[in-house]
Amino acid sequence: MNLILFTFIVLLGFTSYYFGRKKAYTIQSTKKRLTALPQFYGYYLAIWCAIPAFIIFSLWAIFEPTIVKLLILSDYSNQGYLDNELNLIYEKTKALSRGQFTGEITPFIEASAEKYLSLRSIAQSSKVVIVLSAIIASVAYAYKRISSNSRTREPVEKFLNAVLFTASLAAILTTVGIVFSLIFQTIDFFKVIPLFDFVFGTHWYPAKAFVRDSSEALDPTMYSDTFGAVPIFAGTFFIAFIAMCVAIPIGLMSGIYLAEYASTKVRQYAKPLIEILAGIPTVVYGFFAALTVGPFLKELGTSMGLEVSAESALAAGGVMGIMIIPFISSLSDDVITSVPQSLRDGSYAMGATKSETIKRVIFPAALPGIVGSILLGVSRAIGETMIVVMASGLAANLTLNPLESTSTITAQIVVILIGDQAFGDPKTQAAFALGMSLFLVTLCLNIVALRVVKKYREKYE
Amino acid sequence: MIKIKAKDVDVFYGKKQALFNISLDIEENQVTALIGPSGCGKSTFLRCLNRMNDVIDICSVKGEILINDFNINDKSCDVVRLREKIGMVFQKPNPFPKTLYENVSYGPTIHGMAQSKQEMDEIVETSLKKAALWEEVKDRLHEPGTGLSGGQQQRLCIARAISVRPEVILMDEPCSALDPIATAQIEELIDELKKEHTIIIVTHSMAQAARVSQNTGFFHLGQLIEHGSTDKIFKNPDNKKTQDYITGRFG
Repeated sequence: MNLILFTFIVLLGFTSYYFGRKKAYTIQSTKKRLTALPQFYGYYLAIWCAIPAFIIFSLWAIFEPTIVKLLILSDYSNQGYLDNELNLIYEKTKALSRGQFTGEITPFIEASAEKYLSLRSIAQSSKVVIVLSAIIASVAYAYKRISSNSRTREPVEKFLNAVLFTASLAAILTTVGIVFSLIFQTIDFFKVIPLFDFVFGTHWYPAKAFVRDSSEALDPTMYSDTFGAVPIFAGTFFIAFIAMCVAIPIGLMSGIYLAEYASTKVRQYAKPLIEILAGIPTVVYGFFAALTVGPFLKELGTSMGLEVSAESALAAGGVMGIMIIPFISSLSDDVITSVPQSLRDGSYAMGATKSETIKRVIFPAALPGIVGSILLGVSRAIGETMIVVMASGLAANLTLNPLESTSTITAQIVVILIGDQAFGDPKTQAAFALGMSLFLVTLCLNIVALRVVKKYREKYE
Repeated sequence: MIKIKAKDVDVFYGKKQALFNISLDIEENQVTALIGPSGCGKSTFLRCLNRMNDVIDICSVKGEILINDFNINDKSCDVVRLREKIGMVFQKPNPFPKTLYENVSYGPTIHGMAQSKQEMDEIVETSLKKAALWEEVKDRLHEPGTGLSGGQQQRLCIARAISVRPEVILMDEPCSALDPIATAQIEELIDELKKEHTIIIVTHSMAQAARVSQNTGFFHLGQLIEHGSTDKIFKNPDNKKTQDYITGRFG
């Protein structure tokens, strides 16, 4: 029903566009000069169609359920029901009206269900009538109002402005909402687990929290030595470090090659090929690390007499490094290419060779941008999840041996939130605390990276 | 005395020919101006003289260019040595984003011309003095070169070019981005520099060519229409096109 109504409104919108434009043409044919192009008259009418429809739809969506509920429950007032009993009655009524009620059907509820259905159908038909009449009224009003010297361009531009503003507002509000949910859950978590234990504790063992029955009372002492985040922070930075050891040299050198040495033809093919690396899903990297690189390293280590875990930080970090190569390579290529040709010419004209020019002029000039690209790579490495979950294990060892398995913040969030979770449980809230700290770390990195990149931009523009 | 001798130089950008059969002699320790309308090939010719066209992939140069009787288009020519001898100053001042000192010491460093810090200091000081910039910047040698004014930047680029004591200095419209006062300073400087260097300057300003040069070549559509002493070209040209261009009838 709603879908049909919606389609009808869209059709009405098109029709009013058509009529608006037609009226503009009519005015034009009387040799009067219009204040805007004919399309604007059309858009103007279409907006007058869309706005009332949107307003009524949203008001309806907000108030209809409340009003229906009030009307249904008015039958039960003065009978001494408690609030949650009333709610239950209302839920039963709704279920019965949909034919999904399985319990005992009392006559009261049956009567309510019938009333509910009739109320809904009244609401539905009155909605159709109100929406359509509002649209027709507003379009007719606007149609009458437009004349050769009425302003249509400005309202249309304003409307567009408002639509675009709403879209960006939605994105911003979502971000703010996510951050706030993180903050509140994190605060709850730190009410049970002292901040000091979290930041400086060296034992991360959330499995201990899994054994608690949620009906038991919360006893903070049972969580001592459970949520010490040092091992996973260390693991996160360690694996990111290994990844950057792979990604920075390879990415940077391939970036320099692409920007300075590669012929146009090679560049044309090589650059998209390298960027394909960025398009591979991280799950694929994950099982590549877990099933190919991990066992290979283990075998290699065994043949050299080293003890290598099948799930090692080295395998995860190395593969993560490969994943990050295209980011660094592509960004540094862009940065190097944007160093003005006049600097290269100046250096070549002094008799410098290509490598001298790169080392002494181009690289220093591009350095801020390159640092920016590296920092963006680091924040990707820290936020990467799948590769670590699959290739480096879930046990949070505090170790600096790349051949052992370690775990990261992201992997631990996965561990905590897989399976059943209870809200308000420290185990679940630990994930929020981890998410919050991850967010803070990457936020700082991104701010630094953006600053550095901006500073670089100011230099040449 | 003839310093540079170009014989039948053709330049192609891909399939398009940009210069046709250019033959031109350049006198030592004099200023030679190359004039002509935009796109006539005068900058292209200038860039042939220190093989800067090598940098452009699709560009190919044919013909002989003899500098001190040695053909620089020969395979045996070492471009690094060639560019050490032939300095270049560009249209837009292009100091490196480094300090003033590093800008000037750049060439001497890559050519290994100074054995000690003292020697380098001397080279930097003499180069800046010759470029008439020393007095203005001697107290801030370790500040970035990009912080100078346009005219100062261009003189810094000249100091950078003369730091390796080149025999020839190529100038590609060195004053086109500068105001009249900075232009006058550079022109004065060019007059001074010709005592030790051979200078070839590309310019759009006929007045500038008349002021600074002893010889002038007029380019049009990739051809060298006429060349000779500046006096003759400006007062009594042989070719009708030269006459028209000089008197401002086209270009």
